[in-house]
Amino acid sequence: RGVPGAFPAPGTSLLSLAVTSEQIEHLHRRFKQLSQDQLTIRKENFDSIPDLEFNPIRGKIVHAFFDKRNLRQGSDGLADEINFEDFLTIMSYFRPIEMNMDEEQLDRFRKEKLKFLFHMYDSDHDGKITLQEYRNVVEELLSGNPHLEKESARSIADGAMMEAASICVGQMGPDQVYEGITFEDFLKMWQGIDIETKMHVRFLNVDTIAHCY
Amino acid sequence: QLPGAAAMGTGTPPSPSGTAFEETRLHVFTLDYPHVQIPFEITLWILLASLAKIGFHLYHKLPSIVPESCLLILVGLLLGGIIFGAEEKSPPVMNSDVFFLYLLPPIVLDAGYFMPTRLFFENFGTIFWYAVVGTLWNAIGIGISLYGICQISAFGLTDITLLQNLLFGSLISAVDPVAVLAVFENIHVNEQLYILVFGESLLNDAITVVLYNLFKSFCQMRTIKVIDIFAGIANFFIVGIGGVLIGILLGFVAAFTTRFTHKIRVIEPLFVFLYSYLSYITAEMFHLSGIMAITACAMTMNKYVEENVSQKSYTTIKYFMKMLSSVSETLIFIFMGVSTVGKNHEWNWAFVSFTLLFCLIWRALGVFVLTQIINVFRTIPLTFKDQFIIAYGGLRGAICFSLVFLLPPAVFPRKKLFITAVIVVIFFTVFIQGITIRPLVEFLDVKRSNKKQPAVSEEIYNRFFDHVKTGIEDVCGHWGHNFWRDKFKKFDNKYLRRLLIRENQPKSSIVSLYKKLEIKHAIEMAESGMISKVPSSVSLSDYHEGKIKPLSPTEMENMREILTKNLYQIRHRTMSYNRHSLAADASEKQAKEILIRRRHSLRESLRKTNSLSRDRPVLAFCGGFL
Repeated sequence: RGVPGAFPAPGTSLLSLAVTSEQIEHLHRRFKQLSQDQLTIRKENFDSIPDLEFNPIRGKIVHAFFDKRNLRQGSDGLADEINFEDFLTIMSYFRPIEMNMDEEQLDRFRKEKLKFLFHMYDSDHDGKITLQEYRNVVEELLSGNPHLEKESARSIADGAMMEAASICVGQMGPDQVYEGITFEDFLKMWQGIDIETKMHVRFLNVDTIAHCY
Repeated sequence: QLPGAAAMGTGTPPSPSGTAFEETRLHVFTLDYPHVQIPFEITLWILLASLAKIGFHLYHKLPSIVPESCLLILVGLLLGGIIFGAEEKSPPVMNSDVFFLYLLPPIVLDAGYFMPTRLFFENFGTIFWYAVVGTLWNAIGIGISLYGICQISAFGLTDITLLQNLLFGSLISAVDPVAVLAVFENIHVNEQLYILVFGESLLNDAITVVLYNLFKSFCQMRTIKVIDIFAGIANFFIVGIGGVLIGILLGFVAAFTTRFTHKIRVIEPLFVFLYSYLSYITAEMFHLSGIMAITACAMTMNKYVEENVSQKSYTTIKYFMKMLSSVSETLIFIFMGVSTVGKNHEWNWAFVSFTLLFCLIWRALGVFVLTQIINVFRTIPLTFKDQFIIAYGGLRGAICFSLVFLLPPAVFPRKKLFITAVIVVIFFTVFIQGITIRPLVEFLDVKRSNKKQPAVSEEIYNRFFDHVKTGIEDVCGHWGHNFWRDKFKKFDNKYLRRLLIRENQPKSSIVSLYKKLEIKHAIEMAESGMISKVPSSVSLSDYHEGKIKPLSPTEMENMREILTKNLYQIRHRTMSYNRHSLAADASEKQAKEILIRRRHSLRESLRKTNSLSRDRPVLAFCGGFL
């Protein structure tokens, strides 16, 4: 553990394979920068990234790194610190697709990526995105906008939930209650969007490394 | 003297001007065609074009099998044949000036204004690569191979020099935006493929202009020095970048102008058209790329103008633009058909067939080779299917048609041969490729675009996702596309928007989309009277364990009454007509009113939900919403 170039245990997921050694080198250097040459990173280390300050959903992004569900540790809750292997695991969600993947692999790939996004919405880890959590997300997204009232954010979230309900459940009877968006519903909503091709970061360009303080 | 006056018999008879001449009796009825000839003919042509369009859609299956462009060319051919038969001379050939100055700009403007900018810039590298290197490859390849063919004395073509062949190659290698639009419009391939082919057809104008002028001058010069070749290369950069700069500059000026037009809403749309056309002809004046200028102008203008102009002006701009471009396109194809008939041809089996062959071969080779290279730099490589469609979608059209007519016959004694060859290639690409591309797309199972309505949740997801990606890029220390887009957005918000937009509030795309959709739904609701689906505070007055009870009939009746009393009449006549101002859009206000009421009632209902002692509020519905 913590050895540079070590892969997470194979067989856990498709995503753990095929991150090249050059990319691992690059990420390891970055990890050392962030952790200030320690073996693990804590939440506080993310404060040192200057550009992340302006990101409205900064909290959720940082949280995602420590979310045990993303780290495939089986258990639930938040880890206090992560090592390089965990860092790589999170980064592997953003791997671009390969040319030689077949249908089944692509499908699994897509599900993995969407699960990552789902965990970001579902902050209380109960497997459902409720109205309050959704509102939370929208408020955070629009928090960069000082002129916007909280009311607008809430009505937008409500409107979006209604759309979700109508897509996932269709016409609801008068007594029905929509508890929240489950992962299957979430998949349905993202059906039209091409997540496999969009959710990736180009690891190739090693020269443009930003430095943190 | 007006013929009308003579017909009414009220005019005084013409007084003799001193010298004796044959006195003409008063004419009861006169026909003065030369007086109105030009506008009359123009109107007739446009009318004919539009009637032809109606005709095609009468048989509803026709446009899906045969693209409109083909049908229009056929109509043109028919007309040309009639004119030729009646007058025994070549019918009016489409004047290249008319084409380049009047018919082409509206189409490019329409395309540029509604271009999906984000997708365009994401794929910009690839588009640029195909446009510049691809067109060069095609031009030189076709030119040299045709020269090789010309050397074979059996074909009788030995008098065509290398430079003439290169010139011919350069004008026939340009993919035509008009033809691409006309064909791709109906087949709905996924946006990425569409933007690659279409973007290429727009950007290659710079290269085409440069090569065309370059080789034309070379043909007329006695000796060619190395310095001239370098001048040619420098010319390319000037043409391309200069065109774009003019476009962007005028785009900003247009945006700035619309900042002050809130008192004269009626002529707001005019500014959009004037400035974009100005950018086109200014660029043409300097022999820069007019197409790139007008595209850049439209893309720049779009963002800011949309926020400054009223809703009505925006609709007007949209529809007028579409109308102009549609008419232009129709006219172009009809004229192409008409101009084909006539005495402008010289047929040579070898030249024509080899031209066609080389066009296809070099295009296919070019796309294949270039894609192998560009795939290294792309994160999502282009598959064989994509490459095939890109190669197959390289249609030629009216631009090369007009360019070939512009060739000076003194320098090109075999001009008629070139014309014939160009016409054959255009007809082949438009007819054969145009008709077969749809079944091919279905056969190859190319990914199609899903044109469903943008939902608020989708916009939220997309925004959320953007931020996630930017965040991850920041964490792993990598500057991606998002980095530059973020930087541009910051610059935009800080300086550009303040300067160019009148009521500048930092807008979120989520909020604007939400507002747009809400207004639309409110209008729909009011017009269709779907009152029963609105949850109002009246119905939510009683609670049952936090769930909302279904509405009883009396409650429904109550709601209906309240709403009918308070809903305005959406349609009412404007009492007085004033050319200089229109009454403020009543329906917009009413829609906003409905919107406010709905939001208020929703807020009420949810506030009540929250006030209960349940940790998680739930949303219940009476009937489906949205």
